[in-house]
Amino acid sequence: MLSIDEYRLDNGLGVVLNEDHSAPLVAINLWYHVGSKNERPGRTGFAHLFEHMLFSGSQHVENNEHFRYVQSVGGVLNGTTFFDRTNYFETLPSNYLALGLWLESDRMGFFLPALTQEKLDIQREVVKEERRQRYDNVPYGTAFERLLHLAFDPDYSYHWPTIGSMDDLGAASLDDIRQFFSTWYRPNNCVLTIVGDFAPAEAKELVAKYFSDIAPGDKFPHFDLQRKPLGGERREQFASPVQLPRIYRLYHLPKMGEPGWVHADLLSTVLASDKASRFEKALVLEQQIATDVAAYVLPTESTGMLLMQATAKEGISIDQLERAIDDQIARVAKDGVTEDELNRARTRAEVDFAHQLENYDARGDLIGMLATYFGDARMVDRWLEPYQRATSSDLAEAARQYLVPENRVTSLFVPEAA
Amino acid sequence: MSDFRATAPQPGPPRPYQFPHVTRKTLPNGLHIVVAENHAAPLVAARAIIRSGADHDTPEQAGLASLTSELLDEGAGSRDAVRMAEDTGRLGASIGSGADWDASYVSVDVLARNANAALEIFADVIRRPMLPAASLERLRSERLNELIQQRDEASAIAGKRFSNLLYAGGTYGNSVVGNPESVVNIKLDDVRRYYQSQYVANNTTVVVTGDIDADTIVALIERLFTDWPKKADPKPPTIKPAKFEKSSIYLIDRPTAVQSEIRVGHLGVPRATEDYFPLTVMNALLGGVFNSRINLNLREKHGYTYGARSAFAMRRQAGPFVVSAPVRNEVTLEAVSEVLSELRRIRTGDVDAQELGDTKAYLAGVFPATVQTASDIAGRLLDMDLYGLPHDYFDKYRETITAVSKDDVERVAKKYIDPDRMIIVIVGNVKQIQEPIGTLGYPVQHLDIDGNALPVA
Repeated sequence: MLSIDEYRLDNGLGVVLNEDHSAPLVAINLWYHVGSKNERPGRTGFAHLFEHMLFSGSQHVENNEHFRYVQSVGGVLNGTTFFDRTNYFETLPSNYLALGLWLESDRMGFFLPALTQEKLDIQREVVKEERRQRYDNVPYGTAFERLLHLAFDPDYSYHWPTIGSMDDLGAASLDDIRQFFSTWYRPNNCVLTIVGDFAPAEAKELVAKYFSDIAPGDKFPHFDLQRKPLGGERREQFASPVQLPRIYRLYHLPKMGEPGWVHADLLSTVLASDKASRFEKALVLEQQIATDVAAYVLPTESTGMLLMQATAKEGISIDQLERAIDDQIARVAKDGVTEDELNRARTRAEVDFAHQLENYDARGDLIGMLATYFGDARMVDRWLEPYQRATSSDLAEAARQYLVPENRVTSLFVPEAA
Repeated sequence: MSDFRATAPQPGPPRPYQFPHVTRKTLPNGLHIVVAENHAAPLVAARAIIRSGADHDTPEQAGLASLTSELLDEGAGSRDAVRMAEDTGRLGASIGSGADWDASYVSVDVLARNANAALEIFADVIRRPMLPAASLERLRSERLNELIQQRDEASAIAGKRFSNLLYAGGTYGNSVVGNPESVVNIKLDDVRRYYQSQYVANNTTVVVTGDIDADTIVALIERLFTDWPKKADPKPPTIKPAKFEKSSIYLIDRPTAVQSEIRVGHLGVPRATEDYFPLTVMNALLGGVFNSRINLNLREKHGYTYGARSAFAMRRQAGPFVVSAPVRNEVTLEAVSEVLSELRRIRTGDVDAQELGDTKAYLAGVFPATVQTASDIAGRLLDMDLYGLPHDYFDKYRETITAVSKDDVERVAKKYIDPDRMIIVIVGNVKQIQEPIGTLGYPVQHLDIDGNALPVA
């Protein structure tokens, strides 16, 4: 059991302390419960662009100084944005806990006075370059974006990826940034997790000192996302500058943490993890029609997804590859999985989880996620329980219920005609 | 506004950091054993490093070291590939293998309660691989497919062309994974011969870290490896870099590109350089970390890129020094010009005290954050062994970094960076970039993605 102290300040800030003196470090991780899910069409990419802006200084911290303060004491830092949340984190030598809290509280409470058009213009260009580098200038780079467009209707805000579109990035104004900050970046929409080498009484005092005078926000806009059934498989074939055909699929699942999501997580390990897994053994080792295969679930809050991909070897048609994949899925749905496969998948979940707890940064991230999505940081001690409870028939049922054509979208990437 | 917000709070007293205690033993057959306990998590990391990598490949058989390493877990001891995956999966273990320029590796990460059983399999993979012919054919075909895919990856093309030009196609001048011509040249006999001559006790170090008892693990590794024969020490061929009398530009066309992948650099230094610490500080300041000059200039000042960096790849022999940046097509010339101007400026001694102090404080202070896991610790111990670093290296790291002076930075910048002899490789939309880039006044050569010279368009 991890030592977890979870509480709330009067202004609504969630605080989770996990004391651990194995290393003279503290990991600070803030999860703001806002992500690309909270964007509207025409303003996509905003939550992520905003994440960049939060590194460009606040009232008492000059532009570029946030990085300098942290790095010049031997700290590491970053931020990430996803559908449902944005997080900011730094790992510091433990005697610099106050510095980290000062920096984070300054941008939570005093960001707007330092905002300028020039900073926005620079970060907009940086984010456009990020989109070019990660999506537009690499083979298959837009695959996830294409799957989301197929899998979610335009009024469901998982319809677009976190990076957003070039046009929308270009349209973001300073007023949009102000509005977004005032709406979402409030203490009552945030969980602050501190992991590592601190004295609990001192840490609580510092948290109160730096965060308790930041005013809470109004009621947050309600996001009631209702996903409509697909009404049959949605498919597309996309000719692009790639050398080998690749199949991408997205299957809808219950949201993260639901039994169906856990079963699908285990099932994805049975299908694609090591050389003994179904897809890899059949498609890569035996039939030798694929160079690589993958299947995994995403940690999403509003609804769940299982992603699948496989690359056809040169000379192998995309149809042959797809038939082979469907054949493997049909077998699992019909005959289920063996007890041995289930046990290996459970053991892998246990190892992966142990690795996530192993360093302070990843542990803080995990705890912040549980506190944000489930309102309970102590779930970290129970996270593996549904994995242990799962039976081989649960996995077969997950295959029959979720891995069916009417529950999936498929995007086929094929080489452009030479 | 309360006063406490106006300035950064002062730190508390620093708490001591201690790198884990290390136990070392060399067996009579020459095998090094290095073990460190770290009980923070119920996990164990084991690594074997064979001190021969792609630097031993001939250009005709580039990719041999890496294909050999990948064949190791395709069956070993009494287990075929699938059986091995099943058995390791039951133990909560994952086995991996691979090669880079200086070494070949086998790794296992496992739940501590199953460490002994996993280490038995690990020893089989290193000592008793089956090297099956059918697996070589499959891995070769996967490799050829991987190489085909790289033909659409601008960063892979830029890296390959840069290395190939710098090392004139010799050692370090091909890719670790080889090329389509070399990969088809590799026969099973070549793999067997490579394995027999390089995977020998006196060329190998085994590192085990994590939630273990050091004495017990040393005894186990000794039992698993003590009867492994010793053989002649393998020696890699010497690198033969090309000489560049002046800076030259090489353009590789990718008509659909929305970014230019830029590489600017020349020959660097070997890991054993006496200037390792001054160079590390100088490079961190120049382009090695987020807050470095090149990244702040190209990203935060101009918004040309999502990220730009410089690096000295320090290998057993002199690896490249290279600045890399993907930038949008329209600013290719501006980005290259800014990089060159930063390379000139770092040589002038224009370094202020705060900038230098911040950089050294980062390098000296960040170490504990980078060695939190069993795997991190194993990685550091492998490096120490591979490059023959003294045993007190990490204990003295902080003070050695702190001792680097402004004069040292200027001296190594002048000695190891030559802005007038740069290889400048750009993979991008040539139609759009060739005219502006021509204004730099350097000779421009057009290449296809395989490096063949093309007539000027």
